[in-house]
Amino acid sequence: MKSAKIAVFVAALAALAAVPVLAHHSFAAAYDLTDPITVKGTIQSVLLRNPHSWFVLEVKGADGKMEEWSFEAGTPSGMIRNGYKPNVIKQGAEVTIKGFRARDTTQKRGMLRELVTADGQVYGMFGPQESK
Amino acid sequence: MKRSSVTLAFSMALTATAAYCQTPAAKAAPSSSAIPRAADGRPDLSGVWWRGADVGGKGPGAPVSTAAAQGKQGQAKAAPPVTFPSLYNAEAQAKAKTLADKDDPSLNCTSTAFGTLNVSMFDVGAVAQIVQTPKFMIFLSETYNGFQIVPFDGRPHRDAVPPANRGDAVGRWDGDVFVVDKNNFTDTSWISAEGRVSFHSDAMHTVERYRMIDANTLEIEATVEDSKVLTKPWVVPKQTLVRAPFDQIMELNCSGAETLSLIEGAAKAAKK
Repeated sequence: MKSAKIAVFVAALAALAAVPVLAHHSFAAAYDLTDPITVKGTIQSVLLRNPHSWFVLEVKGADGKMEEWSFEAGTPSGMIRNGYKPNVIKQGAEVTIKGFRARDTTQKRGMLRELVTADGQVYGMFGPQESK
Repeated sequence: MKRSSVTLAFSMALTATAAYCQTPAAKAAPSSSAIPRAADGRPDLSGVWWRGADVGGKGPGAPVSTAAAQGKQGQAKAAPPVTFPSLYNAEAQAKAKTLADKDDPSLNCTSTAFGTLNVSMFDVGAVAQIVQTPKFMIFLSETYNGFQIVPFDGRPHRDAVPPANRGDAVGRWDGDVFVVDKNNFTDTSWISAEGRVSFHSDAMHTVERYRMIDANTLEIEATVEDSKVLTKPWVVPKQTLVRAPFDQIMELNCSGAETLSLIEGAAKAAKK
């Protein structure tokens, strides 16, 4: 298994990529859209649940210790209608997630913008996207 | 500095959402099919309706992304859309300045008084189902297990029911247009979600007009009055929905505790 690692990139706002913003709550209130984050790790669980889904992964931190990170995604109904299949991303899958970090930095959480699997499948906040 | 970042990010979200709200709905496949009609000869509005795509989906009805909205910032800007809070009177404007994302009632799973996408039956979502019976039009919102039962047998508004977040509704036919009149709202919900400050009063009154253009296209016009907080009625931008390629909505219940804790944590961090 490749060693997982975490990297945090602080970039200009112009680096923001497609982010569907419609949700029942304001993502900007919970997540800092000026603080992009990229995390590479191993899926622990995918919580396809209401009101918003979560991707939980194990990540090796800068100090070498394993950390658990969670990324909030879209509504399960929207993800499924957009083509997301339950269980398509399984526990143990290596993924890279790009998103925005929670404003409360005491929590290892973020808002998912893009998830890329080891075989190059790309998922957005609300399900499958065009492959790279 | 932190405050300006929050404001900027929030503005971006608003911009993107506003763009979505103004996006023309996807056109249904060209259709000359006759409008389906109920046994009484009235149009049958039954079906699942959306803008042609779900949030994050593909197609012209899908929401405009933040990036796309940003990309338009360098272009000539159209006049900003007239929204409910843009019509606030002076007192309401002052109150609005004291509120922010964290005060959004939808964070506590309270439905909106109208709808984030300017479609009442969507509530905070992007899809809804109508079930038409001989006496009732039943609007089912996917979000929060929401529903609104609209009798259209000539009865008046109920006067012995408590105020509701979605109001009390009665309907009538105006030719082939189904008209919904709502009053008796609480004053605790907001017009839309996503942290957009959009409180209203218990004097709110809405009139919605539903008209089928063809078998697969539903046009909705609405006017929202609220003499306590608005300087004039809000004429909601006309919405054009299309029939969804599925006949049953899903369930999107609400348990916002996780995100609420994130927002509360963010608020505490901002104060430090």
